[in-house]
Amino acid sequence: MNAATNATVGIRDEYTEKYGFHDPDKFVFKIRKGLDRDIVEQISALKGEPAWMRDMRLKSLEIFEKKPMPAWGGDLSHIEFQDIYYYVKPAEQEATSWDDVPADMKRTFDKLGIPEAEQKFLSGVGAQYDSEVVYHRIKENLEKQGVIFLSCDHGLRDHEELFREHFGTVIPPADNKFAALNTAVWSGGSFIYVPKGVHVDVPLQAYFRINTRDMGQFERTLIIVDEGAYVHYVEGCTAPTYSSDSLHSAVVEIIVKAGGRCRYTTIQNWSNNVYNLVTKRAMAYRDATMEWVDGNLGSKLTMKFPAVHLMEPGAHGEVLSIAFAGRGQHQDAGAKMVHAAPHTSSKIVSKSISKDGGRAGYRGLVRVVKGAFDCKSSVNCDALILDERSRSDTYPTMEIEEDRTSIGHEATVSKIGDEQLFYLMSRGVSKEEAAAMIVAGFIEPVVKELPMEYAVEMNRLIQLQMEGSVG
Amino acid sequence: MTTLPNSATGPVTGGVSAWPALALERAMRAGEPAWALAQRREAATACERLPFPDRRLELWRRTDFGSLALDGLDPFAPGLRARNLDDLPHGVIERLAGEAGQMGLVVQRNSEVVLEQTHPALERGGVVLCSLERALREHAGRLEGRLGALIETRHDQLTALHQAVRAGGAFVWVPDGVEVEIPIRIVQWLDGAGAAGAPGTVVVLGRGARATVVEELLSDGTEGQAFYDGGTEVFVGEDAKLIYGHMQDFGRNVYHYSNQRARIERGGELQWIQTLLGGRMSKTNSYFDLAGPGAQAFVHGFMFGDRRQHFDLHTLQKHHAEHTTSDLLIKCVLKDRARSVYQGLIQVAAGAQRTDAYQANRNLLLSDTARADSIPGLEILANDVRCTHGATIGTVDEDQMYYLMARGLPRNDAQRLIVEGFFVPVLDRIPLESVRDRLRGVIQAKIG
Repeated sequence: MNAATNATVGIRDEYTEKYGFHDPDKFVFKIRKGLDRDIVEQISALKGEPAWMRDMRLKSLEIFEKKPMPAWGGDLSHIEFQDIYYYVKPAEQEATSWDDVPADMKRTFDKLGIPEAEQKFLSGVGAQYDSEVVYHRIKENLEKQGVIFLSCDHGLRDHEELFREHFGTVIPPADNKFAALNTAVWSGGSFIYVPKGVHVDVPLQAYFRINTRDMGQFERTLIIVDEGAYVHYVEGCTAPTYSSDSLHSAVVEIIVKAGGRCRYTTIQNWSNNVYNLVTKRAMAYRDATMEWVDGNLGSKLTMKFPAVHLMEPGAHGEVLSIAFAGRGQHQDAGAKMVHAAPHTSSKIVSKSISKDGGRAGYRGLVRVVKGAFDCKSSVNCDALILDERSRSDTYPTMEIEEDRTSIGHEATVSKIGDEQLFYLMSRGVSKEEAAAMIVAGFIEPVVKELPMEYAVEMNRLIQLQMEGSVG
Repeated sequence: MTTLPNSATGPVTGGVSAWPALALERAMRAGEPAWALAQRREAATACERLPFPDRRLELWRRTDFGSLALDGLDPFAPGLRARNLDDLPHGVIERLAGEAGQMGLVVQRNSEVVLEQTHPALERGGVVLCSLERALREHAGRLEGRLGALIETRHDQLTALHQAVRAGGAFVWVPDGVEVEIPIRIVQWLDGAGAAGAPGTVVVLGRGARATVVEELLSDGTEGQAFYDGGTEVFVGEDAKLIYGHMQDFGRNVYHYSNQRARIERGGELQWIQTLLGGRMSKTNSYFDLAGPGAQAFVHGFMFGDRRQHFDLHTLQKHHAEHTTSDLLIKCVLKDRARSVYQGLIQVAAGAQRTDAYQANRNLLLSDTARADSIPGLEILANDVRCTHGATIGTVDEDQMYYLMARGLPRNDAQRLIVEGFFVPVLDRIPLESVRDRLRGVIQAKIG
């Protein structure tokens, strides 16, 4: 088993057995439950941060407290902000060798196959356990070329100037309630800088694990891709199955400078007790390309709409999204494209599947601002509903202030076609297999964009999901 | 006498908050049944409690009626009873000319219905066509459980206001099995500045009945402010077929708000045509309930905005039953600084299997200062369905322009032809030729 395997398997019934385990609580430090100025100051002090960062955290806390809860999307009424641990420090320090990672945690990541995967096909790995990154390492040749791949905390410590120049510029604290929360209590995540013209051929991966009950994980990721550079970043996540809910609220900021390209792949496989409320946004400059590949399989409720702001001519944005909602799950996924400059293009492909009473949806925005002429955007959303108890929603929004544009949106919702089933079955394929083949074909346009190891697993997952159930 | 002097009498003392009480008093004097009065009271309470709609409401996020000074308007402006067609405002006569003998007609002017003209062809079949006021006196039993049944009072404050101050409107009743051969036309007319109209219209088709109803919203003048706050409730019985046209071509001083609801029973069919051309700001909610198995709704509409016009159309295709079909096409052309908002939702209830729903929104922008927002949506709670929607926003296709110009057409003419062609799929559905021709004329004038 490798990391990819583990990161993508998401059979909800198998989940408890495979990822739902948890280590005994052996944290080094756990802050008291709840959220107030004192907690934020403690987190900042523990990290020995510069004053500007502490002040920014405190200001963000005020914004968080002032902003109302979003009245749209999923049901957020059960989140008890005062009943969450905002900071749990798992280990004394961040290791660069697995041998230095505390035994329990190493076992966990072994089970998840991370060290093995690192050997085989990754350029660098970060592993976060609760609030802190416990392991971080990048291949030497990349380091020599000036690529920075650190935990976000170390990014701030070691590259303060670069960090401060970009932090909070793509997603300011006041962007939304959960971005404010993240900015107030952030811990962990990745800091990546790819220098001009450097091509990182194999992906960098981060793996996020929640272990402690009633824990909130607030990692923060900042990626800067300099002119003409390329990087592919992959993140995966799992958590134990607890009866009480956890909160995961990350902020990911990406800057792709002229001619650069960044691909960000997420395989989200949280357990069914995690609220996953994430803000992700990228700024793409002249002739730059930003691609989000977003797979949402786990969590109780996900509200996540990766965005690309196309800032200068020639910029291109893509979101490829798969959402799978099983029993008790609500995947409120989507994408946002803001065409802020002429001659920009974007493409959104969304595939959602709902089953066993789950609710999956696409919520999106394509905006063309005045003066951004000759823009092209196409949005394609397809949904499959596999039984009569499940639900599918599509809410695309298009706001167009410019006439010289070509904007298209198409969406379909359907079940597995009887004719398609019949065709396959008449060729000797069993009904279950036929259904699985059709579903695999349905998500293929997105799956083919995944790294090979993930794609294989995704297909296996769908096959397993489909066993014994035909729409 | 072809036209009458402007009959608006001026604002009501106490402003808009005094409207509901006055309206209730008038309704009691007019002899409205107790249930209708109770409805008005409930709406008046809702009106007090609800805030004036603004961006905090999802459906009002993109349309702001804040510049409308309700206190300066008169919702009770009299209409001057017409003895015959000649007494009607010139703008109405013009639109009915030549066909007046071949139709049923109800004309409202400001707050009052001024003309009710039925036809032997209608009377023979027992078809009722009259003002809503008369219907509340003479056909109260047929209205109870229908008037106000489809429009939710608490939808927003202006909807509650409509129900509280409702004045005028028409009632159409087609008994079971009756096929109405001639068109039924309803005209809503506002006299210039200061007028406010709040008509409530109810159309009921019995089992297997057939009818064509065309409602036109018109006004005089372009200065000052006027307000239209209407409600239309349509009931299509089992296996009945209704063609309903709703055409808004108000002057540029009118704030237009309409709530339209239709409920279609088993095997019923509704052809709905909606056009929005006039007004300063125009907001319409058109909701279609496919209530019985096999019900069908075909919705075609267009908006054409120029200068600073603002259109906002919200449609809802609600599939409650199995084997229901809905097909919707909304087209929109914008020039100058015009703005449009189209928000449409297909809802399929749990158990509404074998639903076939389609929704398309096509937008054509003719200037770089126009703005179109398109917000289609799907909420699907059944699995054996086929639901599709598509939306496009773009400018005139340069290849098409090139084709036409290569054949010697100047650029302007080529564009005119393409825009006209864009509207054709909807224009073709408009039931009456004279209405169709007139709309074609308005479109041509707007293309300029």
